[in-house]
Amino acid sequence: MSTPSPELMQRRKFLKLVTTLPALAAAAALVSPLLRFLKPNVEKFKIYAPTVQDAARGEVIAVATLKEVANPWDYKYFVFTQKYPQYTPEGFKAANVPGVVIKLPYKIALFDPATGQGPLRWVRDIGKTPKVTESDLIIFSRICPHLGCIYNFVPNFKEVTAGYGGYLPPPPRQHALMACPCHLSIYDPADPQVPGRVLSGPAPRPPRTFLYEIQGENIIATDVEPGGIA
Amino acid sequence: MLERVRDWLQERRQKLDLFDETLVARQDNPLYLMGPMLYYFWLVTVVTGVILMLWYEPTTTGAYTSIERIQNDIGRLALTFLGRPVTLGGLTRGLHKYGADALITITFLRIYRMYFLAEYKKPGELSWMLAFLGLILGMVSGITGYLLIWNQRAFWAAKVVLTVPVYFDELPLIGPLKFGSMIAFLFLGGPAVGQATITRFYALHFGISLVLLILVEVFFQRTRRKRINMSLFPLALFMVMLVVISIILPAESGRRADPTKTPLPILSDWYFLALYQYVKYTPPLWAGLGPGLLIGFGLIVPFLDRSKGRRPLERPFFTVVGALAVIYFLAFTALILFNIAVIERDPFLIMNITLVVLALGLFWELQYRRRRRQAAAAGISPPARAPAHG
Repeated sequence: MSTPSPELMQRRKFLKLVTTLPALAAAAALVSPLLRFLKPNVEKFKIYAPTVQDAARGEVIAVATLKEVANPWDYKYFVFTQKYPQYTPEGFKAANVPGVVIKLPYKIALFDPATGQGPLRWVRDIGKTPKVTESDLIIFSRICPHLGCIYNFVPNFKEVTAGYGGYLPPPPRQHALMACPCHLSIYDPADPQVPGRVLSGPAPRPPRTFLYEIQGENIIATDVEPGGIA
Repeated sequence: MLERVRDWLQERRQKLDLFDETLVARQDNPLYLMGPMLYYFWLVTVVTGVILMLWYEPTTTGAYTSIERIQNDIGRLALTFLGRPVTLGGLTRGLHKYGADALITITFLRIYRMYFLAEYKKPGELSWMLAFLGLILGMVSGITGYLLIWNQRAFWAAKVVLTVPVYFDELPLIGPLKFGSMIAFLFLGGPAVGQATITRFYALHFGISLVLLILVEVFFQRTRRKRINMSLFPLALFMVMLVVISIILPAESGRRADPTKTPLPILSDWYFLALYQYVKYTPPLWAGLGPGLLIGFGLIVPFLDRSKGRRPLERPFFTVVGALAVIYFLAFTALILFNIAVIERDPFLIMNITLVVLALGLFWELQYRRRRRQAAAAGISPPARAPAHG
């Protein structure tokens, strides 16, 4: 046996490379079915986006009557059910979105039809137009837009100061606030410009809102702003 | 290039040390008993975990009840402690919980030992990286195992942890691929924490230990090293300690998970408390990036630290960084336990303290190096170093 010449080694390297490439391709092809094993309704070879086509359908419910939230700072908790297309026995997987209806002491603009701005601006993206554009009723999703805990409506701001990290609101905001037990984000539900404005804490945005209609005596929640994990 | 990497790996693999089993000569020093202790507590946790699987029910409706049943009814003994019946189920669960706590504690302490004694330097790079990965996998096991109880603390911990990666979608370049949401989805198995989540966490919780145990066993078989370099007395003592604490302080179950109500206050497992406090301070994207960078730093620290010495005072900058990490871990844990978080003031303060301390550490390092150069120029040889172990 003579020692292999450098050219021979080069050829071996080349052959190795040539045989490696199909192996790598086969491995990559295995990733797609594996992802579909983890999430059955993902499309073939869409390995980068298994979260598409998951638009949720909300179940329209009456969340409160007008009498229950007649006075300023009255509020009522409710739970809204969203259904996601998933491979379950019912074909849909339900997720609960707790919400809160709040009666504010003054009217605020929810949606400006001319500019498309306001807390309900997401409604256009789901192909609807808000019927209520200005109101003293506002409905928030109670899922904290920070990391998904359920925040509380706290009628007395002193409880916020005592229990949620010592934040003392400035005098114009010394009214009912919303505060999250997990990471102490504090929101002002009655901010006239940005309802749900973040006053303190790590939250990146105000809480998500519900689209609602008023039918007779009932306040009906129809949709919730998409995004986040329920 | 490839050959150099292969040689590098070969050398490190030969010197690989997973549970301090090459440090038999240092048995007189408890610092070097942490390796065998680690392996021992791991085995205790795995064995008790398998026993718990016999009675555990991984469903959203049945999990909490089955845990209560294991704790109070399975294998009831004829003795009581403080009016509570002592059960074999409760004992097994206690051993599992406290064994896991001991495991995490020992892993932390061992990481600190390896860091401050610079055991990550050549040829210990690979051992260090595996020890560090072990800590991360241990913490993942902790969080996946905790959800299985299906109590409030576990439920909200799981939801928070799985919401963190969603913010990776905000990153430039890789964000639009929705990788963050994908990670969240793969663990959640759906749009919310539910049955699929508990099933996946159950599989992961068991799978991590199972796969690692097989790999470690292969390692021990190939190297023919002794698994536990520890005499019988400490082994028995640790077991007695675990049993005693499981009877005195039975593992808690907390309240059953309620997806519509987050309790106030809510805490996480003790080893996540510091991270929890950190998450209060930062924007949510950094809640994921911060720990990610920390893990990255931990893994590549052997290649960052080019100093010659191994003693803490011979590489001042990295000692300062390590001390800062210990102090922040303890301080953040204390802050969250006393429920102190002034979000307007603290991050600014912490940022400045960190920068100042790091700058001082760098200054110290430069000073130290200059002094050594001057000493070398003056012909004074440095005192002989202790030989590297291994």
